[in-house]
Amino acid sequence: MNFFHPTRFDSVKMVSRQIGGLHIVLGYSLILPGLVSLLYAEFFSAAGFFISAIFALLMGHLSYSKITTQHEPLSYHAMMVASLGWLSIVLMGAIPFYLIAWITPADIAQQFVPQGSNYPSSLYFFRNPLHAIFESMSGFTTTGLSMATREPSIGRGLLFYRHYTQLLGGAGFIVLTLSLLKQSSGKTSFLMYTAESTGEWLQSTVIETARSIWKVYLGLTLFCIVFLIVGTYLLLPDYPLGNNIFDAINHGMAGMSTGGFSTLDDSIAGYNSFGMELLHLLPMILGSMALPFYVKVIINKKYDLIWKDLQTISLIILFIVGSIVLSVMLNFSGKISEPFRVGLFQFVSALSTTGWQTSDAHQWDSASVFFIVMSGMVVGSAFGATVGGLKIIRVLALMKGVIWRINSFFVSDNSVNVVRFNQQRLLPEEARKEVSSAAIFTFVYMVFLMLGTIVSYYTMDAGFGLKDALFESASAQGTVGLSCGITHPEMSTTLEITYILQMWAGRLEIIPFLVLVRAVVFGTKPRIV
Amino acid sequence: MKIIISGSGDVGFYLAKLLEREYQDITIIDTEKEKLEYVQTNLGILTVLGDSTSYKVLKEAGVKQADLLISVTSDESTNIATCLIGKKLGAKFTIARINNMEYLIDKKTLDLKDIGIDDLISPESLAAREIKHILRSPVLTETFQVEGGSLEVMGLILDNQSPLNGQLVHGSMHESILDNFCMAAIHRNNTTIIPNASTIYNEGDQLYFVSLQNQKEQILKYTGKKEFEIRNVLVIGGSRTGKYIALKLSKYYNIKVIEKDLSKCHYLARHIPNVHIVHGDGTDVKLLQDEKVYDYDAVVSVTGNSETNIFTCLIAKEFGVKKTIAMVENIGLFDYSHKMGIDTLINKKLAAANFIFRTISKGGVFSHLHGVDAEVQEFILSEKSKIIHKPLRKLQLPDNALIGGVIRGGKGMMVNNDFMFEAGDKVFVFSLPENHKKVNTFFK
Repeated sequence: MNFFHPTRFDSVKMVSRQIGGLHIVLGYSLILPGLVSLLYAEFFSAAGFFISAIFALLMGHLSYSKITTQHEPLSYHAMMVASLGWLSIVLMGAIPFYLIAWITPADIAQQFVPQGSNYPSSLYFFRNPLHAIFESMSGFTTTGLSMATREPSIGRGLLFYRHYTQLLGGAGFIVLTLSLLKQSSGKTSFLMYTAESTGEWLQSTVIETARSIWKVYLGLTLFCIVFLIVGTYLLLPDYPLGNNIFDAINHGMAGMSTGGFSTLDDSIAGYNSFGMELLHLLPMILGSMALPFYVKVIINKKYDLIWKDLQTISLIILFIVGSIVLSVMLNFSGKISEPFRVGLFQFVSALSTTGWQTSDAHQWDSASVFFIVMSGMVVGSAFGATVGGLKIIRVLALMKGVIWRINSFFVSDNSVNVVRFNQQRLLPEEARKEVSSAAIFTFVYMVFLMLGTIVSYYTMDAGFGLKDALFESASAQGTVGLSCGITHPEMSTTLEITYILQMWAGRLEIIPFLVLVRAVVFGTKPRIV
Repeated sequence: MKIIISGSGDVGFYLAKLLEREYQDITIIDTEKEKLEYVQTNLGILTVLGDSTSYKVLKEAGVKQADLLISVTSDESTNIATCLIGKKLGAKFTIARINNMEYLIDKKTLDLKDIGIDDLISPESLAAREIKHILRSPVLTETFQVEGGSLEVMGLILDNQSPLNGQLVHGSMHESILDNFCMAAIHRNNTTIIPNASTIYNEGDQLYFVSLQNQKEQILKYTGKKEFEIRNVLVIGGSRTGKYIALKLSKYYNIKVIEKDLSKCHYLARHIPNVHIVHGDGTDVKLLQDEKVYDYDAVVSVTGNSETNIFTCLIAKEFGVKKTIAMVENIGLFDYSHKMGIDTLINKKLAAANFIFRTISKGGVFSHLHGVDAEVQEFILSEKSKIIHKPLRKLQLPDNALIGGVIRGGKGMMVNNDFMFEAGDKVFVFSLPENHKKVNTFFK
């Protein structure tokens, strides 16, 4: 074992090897949408998936098995794997979109358009590689912004694939890879696990932890799917059963992962049923709670956490209060009909960062938009869930920090001023660390949001205002997916790239993204800042 | 009754001293020869040199016939091992001194009784218990209950404001008062006085009263003292004793703990809810000022260093703290606490020894008052006793002895000159050690 600082070449080798692992998992994952395509007799789509799968597997095995290195990765390597890994998965995941758009003949593509409609298939939008990447990024980061203006018209196989990417991205692709591929050492797997997720140790090993997270996640998704099938059947008995099951599978995946893609043209509004909207609240709410929380409750059987876990309780309170406030604000503005129905669904959708839509936010007044952005999209839900945004726990930490700061003026200098937080008693040092990391993240998050909003403002189509720019940018960065109409296939390329970057950085919680930038621009040597 | 004590440190020595008067057969085990020689010359009891976890040493000490094996070395593991082995080798009852509070509190996980340790004591938690008791009625220096509260013993110090100063003890006590409590002993200038017809109260006297239930108000009225309530307690020292105090008292008082060692501060801050922790030196006057020591009703100084504790309490007194309690190592200091200007001194080892003593001598002598020579003895009168069915005034009670109270059928009673004893009465007698024999023959 060589204990010297790894050279740049070693770093590249290490990172490539780990990313190779991700590609192997992606390669095998691509087989399923291929089979679904075959099921619906969409042979060109199936071919697209299988070709992509072979390509991914080839690339993955090449780098995973052929590259060997003596070094153990350091924490910045793990950060780079997280950020670069996500980027390369997204690029690889964009290939099926691109490929299928090019190989599917025009008459076949037109068959995808639902009967009775006569708009052109949206499939060909993906012939533009940027659109394919946008869609893939939106999928894996569980955002839900889409380039497919008419969702149903891209074919069942590809439709399934979109939601499937959200499922894969939801609990974390690296966590998935950890639970499937054998890692060379415990340290490697721990660093990787920490780089992508909460870093909470739930089982005896990291691999077991990753597996338990995925088990719980898949279990809940399955529950959501069954729930939706039964619910839809009871609410809309006339809805064709085949469509019902297809919708439920896709919406279950998109809801539990708080992704927000939909199989319908008008998202959940397409059902035209208040009952169906209520039905879809459950997957969003389940998805917005922390996966480690589920593991602790379901697998480790710590049932008392249900009413003790600070984050979960705060989340539920915020869901209730936020939906009421938004409804009242929408009602007060008088700009839309049924403000309470819209307020409830849209606030839950925004806070859980799902992005299912039942109302055109472009019609909303500025105050309501500002409210849903700041208290819904920016806050996001639980840390450790599939959501984006700041995460509730950070907001709570900052609030506690404010109280702590004010209180500190009332105690003597020598006091060991502890902070009670989330059933723990934090020493001043720990509390400072907790609060400062939350504050740093919040600051960076806001800076990114501001930049995104400004870029949106200058590059969006005419007819939109600042509130729309803020809404769309916050939606992309928080991996929400609500849209007020700025995002569409003819949007400016600059803005499309901006949103891709925002989604990427937002999913990774920005810091790994900045670590990557630092490593690329300044190298990996320690520096005095 | 055969008793083996392992460890001749302060707890062991003091315990042996207490027990030696009552029981003949005591053996003490220790690994240090000098300590054992000290025990031999001062107490005259059998000693065995060696490690008490060794079979050979325990057998040599006579563990097979032992009714009681008490392990009170400073090392918890030794104590536990000694008791486990001793029990298997034939000791009938075992007591171990422990430090880990888990053993005392969490009996669900593992009750040490099940594996052979019959009783556990922790000097630190006993000291904390004593402090809790003292803080509950801060005007009193000492208080304890007899027979589950049928009678109470209370100690207090006469201050210069008291109307009793210069008065005759017997003259100042009204008939109606005598039905509820009696003056049992006075401690003055390092000597103990059992009051007689000519005894006069002086300022600075430490008084001991025996009373029926709930007579505190009456006694305070009689002595002209005023009770005050304690809300804020400043604890100096966050080692084990300080930790237990904070844990036990945080429910009742606002507590601030000052501790010098930062890592101990962190431990306390993390584990004890609702207590303010301050990192600093308790003898630093500036720090005490910063922490507003003058706002506190009581200061409890329990660092490992006796001098620090005394010094801190003196500073606190200067700042006007009403109640100061210092923990000291040296039992000899007890007589001087009032002269030093500290309200109460405590010693955790004494507390432990007294506790064990009380557990094993159920009946017989039940307590020693702090730093006072007088002992309280308990007698149960039999049918054959010569003193029953006669009024008290016709009996010739030995000099320097006083009947504190009687328990008849579970109820406490005060005695007056017309009082007549009955068979089955439990009589509590205050007497000086030199009168023990006379008192014994009188009541038996």
